[in-house]
Amino acid sequence: MDWAGWGLFGLVATAALTAALITAQLAGLTRLDFPLVLGTLVTEDPDRARIVGFVIHLCAGQGFALGYAATFAVLHRATWWIGALLGLLHVGIALTVLLPLLPGVHPRMASQRAGLTSTAVLEPPGLFAVNYGVQTPAVAVVVHVIYGIVLGLLLRAD
Amino acid sequence: MTGGFDRASRRPAPISEYGLLGDTRTAALVAGDGGIDWLCVPRFDGEPLFGRLVGGPEAGTFRVGPARPGTVVDRRYRQHTATLETTWAVGGGRLTLTEGMVAEVSGRLLPTTLLVRRLSAEHAAVEAVVEFDPRLGALHRRPRIHHRRQALVCAWGSVAISLASAPELAIETGRSTSITVRPGSPITLVLAFAHREPLIHVDPAAAWDLLVEDENRWRDWSTEIDESLPFREAVVRSLLTMRLLTYSPSQAPVAAPTTSLPEDPGGIRNWDYRYVWPRDASIGVSAFLGVGKAREAHGFLAWLLHASRLQRPRLPALLTLHGRNVPAERDLPGWPGYLASVPVRIGNGAAGQHQLDGYGWVVDAAWAFAQAGQRLYSETWRAVRGFADVVAGRWQEPDAGIWEVREPTQHVHSKLMGWLALDRALRIADTHPLPDRQRRRWQEARDAIAAEVRTRGFDPEAGCYVRGYGTQDLDAALLVLPLLDLDDIESPRVRGTIDAVRDRLSAGGPLLYRYPPGRDGFPGGEGAFLPCSFWLVQALARTGRHREAVELFQTLLDHASPLGLYAEEMDPATGAHLGNYPQTLTHAALVQAALAIRDAPTSGPVSA
Repeated sequence: MDWAGWGLFGLVATAALTAALITAQLAGLTRLDFPLVLGTLVTEDPDRARIVGFVIHLCAGQGFALGYAATFAVLHRATWWIGALLGLLHVGIALTVLLPLLPGVHPRMASQRAGLTSTAVLEPPGLFAVNYGVQTPAVAVVVHVIYGIVLGLLLRAD
Repeated sequence: MTGGFDRASRRPAPISEYGLLGDTRTAALVAGDGGIDWLCVPRFDGEPLFGRLVGGPEAGTFRVGPARPGTVVDRRYRQHTATLETTWAVGGGRLTLTEGMVAEVSGRLLPTTLLVRRLSAEHAAVEAVVEFDPRLGALHRRPRIHHRRQALVCAWGSVAISLASAPELAIETGRSTSITVRPGSPITLVLAFAHREPLIHVDPAAAWDLLVEDENRWRDWSTEIDESLPFREAVVRSLLTMRLLTYSPSQAPVAAPTTSLPEDPGGIRNWDYRYVWPRDASIGVSAFLGVGKAREAHGFLAWLLHASRLQRPRLPALLTLHGRNVPAERDLPGWPGYLASVPVRIGNGAAGQHQLDGYGWVVDAAWAFAQAGQRLYSETWRAVRGFADVVAGRWQEPDAGIWEVREPTQHVHSKLMGWLALDRALRIADTHPLPDRQRRRWQEARDAIAAEVRTRGFDPEAGCYVRGYGTQDLDAALLVLPLLDLDDIESPRVRGTIDAVRDRLSAGGPLLYRYPPGRDGFPGGEGAFLPCSFWLVQALARTGRHREAVELFQTLLDHASPLGLYAEEMDPATGAHLGNYPQTLTHAALVQAALAIRDAPTSGPVSA
């Protein structure tokens, strides 16, 4: 497995994903903000949360990159299109499993069951994260495919 | 015993007869005869499950009440809670329906919507009925029926409800079930709802305990409200109503839980208010801050900033509960409407309008938040700067204004609120970073607005500000003038405007039209606009006319529904509530009026 590549290019791919996501936010396509969502696990202040969340996001991206590197090693191939396919699988799990489950563990995220005593102010993502804008699933797919392509191009199979 | 019930025999109740049940995710309206005639699922803006209110007899209802017409002898919310009690005198006995929805369901295996209704009798056994006829959506779809675990289950694909009772009753949909309620043996009915998840059955006795727990939470919530408030009971009911109409998963305050309750019975002024206006949220921020509920104020502001993010720096006129674009306005064919007021509409056509005043409300809310000692995050400040930039760049354009007229024009109130946005943004900038160039741009725009409004928006002969450039019409929204500091509150311009609005827009008694009736491009008339009357109270209190403010406020309280609720408008001739109900804006205006009375100097000039 390409351990050195994983160490470096995981960060590169996560940075590319984050940059693409910020671009989509600035273009008014989505309110999905991974650094904010992750950072508010730790702090309520959105500005600090984005910094903390970016670090958490880099670590999470590094963890996911391990799965990509391992898959390339198993397949003995590392191409941009295999990376893109893995990106699709990755985003499918993120949108249908990880994000919808997040309100169950996130201390500052409301759930659809939030009631009178709820102090959570971070809106739950909902199925496919459409609560953050109807184009959010499309944006999420694009940025994760970019992540996969970057890893597919830069990682070696062995 | 069951039998068919005559769906058409029930007459529509007056709007003010309806009570509000809610769980901060959706709400039901229940008539004085025990009929729930409006309930949307799974959210305020979802599909109606019981839609009889505007959908007619075929749109479904859920009535629990006396079998024979009974006289309502008492109807009230249990103090400082959301639990409603209705008592009828029937023959020699009394029948009481106690009902509510459980708001706190998180962290436990409970359905998202849980409605609990309990019938109890006093003095003698009373014959009662249960009429359960759920119909989902615009087409009044009938459910597939099953009986599971002693509950009646109705399913429509991803939506299902279960109705359980203790003692067990043989309830059938679309039929009347006769029951005898004996003293000491109450009957409890529990309606549970599921959307895209399995039904969670709740034992009726356990559901009742949950409702009692919820009552205690509401009492605790009410205890936190400032004890020194004048007219505290009315203010607490308004705050409770505002909280019930706040969608907890996003903290969005819905304007009203209903669609198409008419502003003009029999007319076309029927709109869908199950959305969120940033204006209402902003007023709510100030109202909740003023009574000591910073958490709710923070929630409203957080929703505002989150929801507006996609279109920032433009501020949408209204949004859905989750901050999405409001669906295009369309008519529901075949829906007969309340008192034959058609069309019944869903969606809202005002969503695409440019409303300059909205920026003023939002920036003022941020200023109020900062003034109250709450920290403005730098993200919030960035958003406020963006809003101020929009105002500085677009204030000269005509807009739809606060009243959402469909033909844009130069509204003086909009200009005033644009001035407010820039002024408050500049005040916030005293303690937050702002480039000098941007500051100068805002100052120039603010001063230009003031100069233009004082010349083109003021009628020197009448001595008052007017509705728009080139007109002598008045606008009750100008009553915000004393809150702005554009003119000194003792200035003849301010006093002249207040007096002119009070005089020329009077609808009789304490009621005001928002502008001269009929001057909005729509056919038909409309009632007096209730928030304007509370704004008048606020204006009087702010300008030192304390006694007048108190008297007017007291008179307005007498116009509330028997349960202390307000619609948007009122028929000046009959006192009937008109428009969607209950209305967040009216209740927020009531709270702000009470706050103005509390904060007003009592020794100021007293008018003749």
